[in-house]
Amino acid sequence: MSRILIAEDEVLMLKALEFKLKKDGYQVDVASDGKQAMEKIKQNTYDLILTDIMMPFVGGMEILSYVKNDPVKKITPVLLISAVGLEDVVLEGFRLGAEDFIYKPFNLNELSVRIRRHVKQNNFA
Amino acid sequence: MDEFLATFETFFNNAVFYYALFVMGSYVALALLSAVEMNGYMKKNSYVSYREILVSPLAPPVSILAPAYNEEATIVENIRSLLSLHYGNYEVVIINDGSKDNTFQKMFDFYHLERVDFAVDYQIPCNEIRGVYKSKLPSFAKLTVVDKVNGGKSDALNAGINVSSKGLILCIDVDCIVQEDAILKLAKPYLEEKHMVIATGGVVRIANSCKVEDGKLVEVNMPRNIWPRFQVLEYIRAFLMGRMAWSRLNGLLIISGAMGLFDKRTVIEVGGYDHSTVGEDMELVVRMRRYMHEQDRRYAVVYIPDPLCWTEAPADLQILGRQRNRWTRGTIETLLKHKDLFFNPRYGILGMLSYPYWLFFEWLAPIIEFLGLSIFIILAVTGHINWEFSSILICMVYFFSVALSTVAVLFEEMSYQQYTKGKDLVKLLIAAFLEPLLYHPLTVYWAIKGNIHKFTGKNTWGVMTRKGFSNTKTSELTDQTTT
Amino acid sequence: MNFLEGLINYIAETYTDRLNYFPSNVKTSLLIILFCVIATLEMYIYITFRRLSQANEKRQLDKWNEHVSNMLANLIIFDEADKTEDIVAHFYPKMKKWPLRNKVLNKVLISEILTYHKSFTGQIGEVLSILYRKLGLDKKSKKKINSRNWEVKIEGIREANEMRISEMAAEIIKYTDDENALLRMESQAAYINLSENNPFHFLDRAQERILDWHQVVLFEIITKNKALKIPSFSQWLRSPNDTVVMLCLKLVEHFMQFEAAEEVERLLKHHNPRIVKKSVEIIGKLELASAETSMFEIYFDQPEDVKLEILNSLGKISSGSYENFLMSRIYSGNVKIKKEALYAIKRDQHQGEEKLRELYQQTTVENQALINHVLDSRIKP
Repeated sequence: MSRILIAEDEVLMLKALEFKLKKDGYQVDVASDGKQAMEKIKQNTYDLILTDIMMPFVGGMEILSYVKNDPVKKITPVLLISAVGLEDVVLEGFRLGAEDFIYKPFNLNELSVRIRRHVKQNNFA
Repeated sequence: MDEFLATFETFFNNAVFYYALFVMGSYVALALLSAVEMNGYMKKNSYVSYREILVSPLAPPVSILAPAYNEEATIVENIRSLLSLHYGNYEVVIINDGSKDNTFQKMFDFYHLERVDFAVDYQIPCNEIRGVYKSKLPSFAKLTVVDKVNGGKSDALNAGINVSSKGLILCIDVDCIVQEDAILKLAKPYLEEKHMVIATGGVVRIANSCKVEDGKLVEVNMPRNIWPRFQVLEYIRAFLMGRMAWSRLNGLLIISGAMGLFDKRTVIEVGGYDHSTVGEDMELVVRMRRYMHEQDRRYAVVYIPDPLCWTEAPADLQILGRQRNRWTRGTIETLLKHKDLFFNPRYGILGMLSYPYWLFFEWLAPIIEFLGLSIFIILAVTGHINWEFSSILICMVYFFSVALSTVAVLFEEMSYQQYTKGKDLVKLLIAAFLEPLLYHPLTVYWAIKGNIHKFTGKNTWGVMTRKGFSNTKTSELTDQTTT
Repeated sequence: MNFLEGLINYIAETYTDRLNYFPSNVKTSLLIILFCVIATLEMYIYITFRRLSQANEKRQLDKWNEHVSNMLANLIIFDEADKTEDIVAHFYPKMKKWPLRNKVLNKVLISEILTYHKSFTGQIGEVLSILYRKLGLDKKSKKKINSRNWEVKIEGIREANEMRISEMAAEIIKYTDDENALLRMESQAAYINLSENNPFHFLDRAQERILDWHQVVLFEIITKNKALKIPSFSQWLRSPNDTVVMLCLKLVEHFMQFEAAEEVERLLKHHNPRIVKKSVEIIGKLELASAETSMFEIYFDQPEDVKLEILNSLGKISSGSYENFLMSRIYSGNVKIKKEALYAIKRDQHQGEEKLRELYQQTTVENQALINHVLDSRIKP
């Protein structure tokens, strides 16, 4: 079973994502701020990380750059969730190696499809 | 002689009584005004979402000016937290005021600084600027560092004003813990007042014993040491009750040097910060206000009661004493420099109410208190005291001050409720009982000392060294401050 | 114990038998003491009571939060294959059983539906809207909108706005020019999102000021809402309300509406310097070379900040027609003007920097320092 980490500081959003991905059959870990997420990433290996950009303490970009600079973990796909469509943030995210960007508001079913694709690609790689 | 002393005693009792009544009346009036203002502010702001302005290209540009003098222990961390505030359009200007330690080198190394060909436009005079530096790394593009010859805090801020590129300037103490949304909240009045806003000021809260992680406040605690705890009470009273009321009257005279947002053009028009006073923060506001009156321009000085800035209060009595000594001298200097405002109708509220209030309550009150106490002792020694009557008078003042502090705590409870733990609340209420007996006499003593120093020419700054917040990644603020 | 008893007796006597024998000031003091003590005690009671009820409310809130968010999270994770009616038919009976009159529950339910409604696109919005109606929450919002209390009105308007209940637009338009600035702003924001035919109708009737702050909010809504049909904002540039003109100028700028060029040029003669400044800025941004002459004509009558803006715009257009004028500005007595003129010269795509280097050879030391400053690309102007 593939393992996914969700980092999101909005409780409701986190819950919705958690429920959805569990229903899709993943093993799901959650973190409600960037710091928790970092600790979990350091301890475990994930098949995919879904993280919000704006979070207290450690933002999504910092998590992204940590993962992508780690020789082992860098193969983990990272999906960023962003509320603001600032072009430079998106560019910076792709430059740092993010696999995909999701803008709020988004379609939950579409997200589920995107995640499935990234997890699959990763497993074949 | 005896007869005279007896008459004098009656007169003295009456004088004390009416003076106390007058002072208490003023406080009640201020408390009422502030309750009205506070209520309005809370109501209005519960419907405001700051999300829009955060990302908006229309947000007014802000330059943060932070002078640094011998801050090598904390400067790197402080700058980092200033760079991570939530606001779209701002720059951070750090002014190294000729530090004697490694402050500059620390910044230079960590932020990969390099000198740029900056042509400084000396719009207000300041000591020589040795160089302006920017980071080589694009992620620190918001940072500008100014290296200059030492000239004191006012001079450093003036240098910062000359280098800054935005229309609003946020002057702060570099070692404060600034809440992430501070600029948003301070900038908002500039976008909504009918009249031109020349300055907005924020609350200063006390960070001792609070939990700080990575330059951010994560848990508010009551200081364990008793002296900072009294200051918590004192600050709540001053900020939530005092300044809120003055803001209502548009008669605010002081914006704390630890955090104030100013309209740069007006600051430059009045000539910037005054080098010659130790109370430069108050003096600037008074000068800006009188300038606006002289130009017949309508204006507002606004005050934001949200807890935006947390600072470490001195826990050591000697350092605290020096700080209060300096505040007293600053007040006196400002009042003397602008003495023509006194009951001058040309200056509206400023001349008719704010100035006299500061004169009587901030400068003269401790002196009157001290004189009263001295006379009381003389009368007591010569046996001309009706102990019962005097005790009742003293009790009145005591219980009034306890009640007033309790009202302040109530304000805090009904607004921001920072002290969520029940235990902390009880501690605060107990402090209200002890304060008039333990802390207040000290503040009077320091104020008197400040007066004496002022008029005997001992005008020193009083060095205030702090222990860093952030030598370790997670640190709890200690109550001990080193000298 | 004896001492305490003595003290109590003393106080009792002081306030009863002896009270009338004290001189008036002492008597007043005694009464003030009594008042302060009672007031302090009452405040303690009040604070304690408040803390207790807060704790109680929090418990309730936590309980309902858990309940409601679990239900809603389960509700929104349906598959594409599920039909809207089926989802509603499955969840509605369960939610109907909740004590919907409970204030805390009501608050939690509304806020969570609103949050999910604005976080997700697609079918979820539809499902939530239907449930919102079936649970009678839309009627409550409407009632709030027509309440007498402005805070409640705002709450209702927000709910209608977030849930996109477009028939409420008719109820809301009446507040778009209200005296209360907050209510006015919320209504304008909601009206833009809700009105199906004419979302900018409120601009025609706006007499009250649209504060700068509110312009920021409206600007964000107008520029971020992709479903909105954007009109030509030049039609409001003749509005007698300066704040309407200002907002529309910002929108003309954002949407690069070149058809407004003539109107914008006309505004250079406006009496409000802020509008003049904004018009100049737009002329630069849209590179309206045709307006260069008009800008130059007004230059010498303007305050400093407008002059700087004109220099900036001349630089952006850089048609070459005003190159000599820009060159002459570097001998102005004002450093800011000099700097701005140098930046304007630098903007010339072909040989701006070249020109500055040439100029460097033949100018004063002060200007040389400024040229170095302007040429240093690490310094943001």
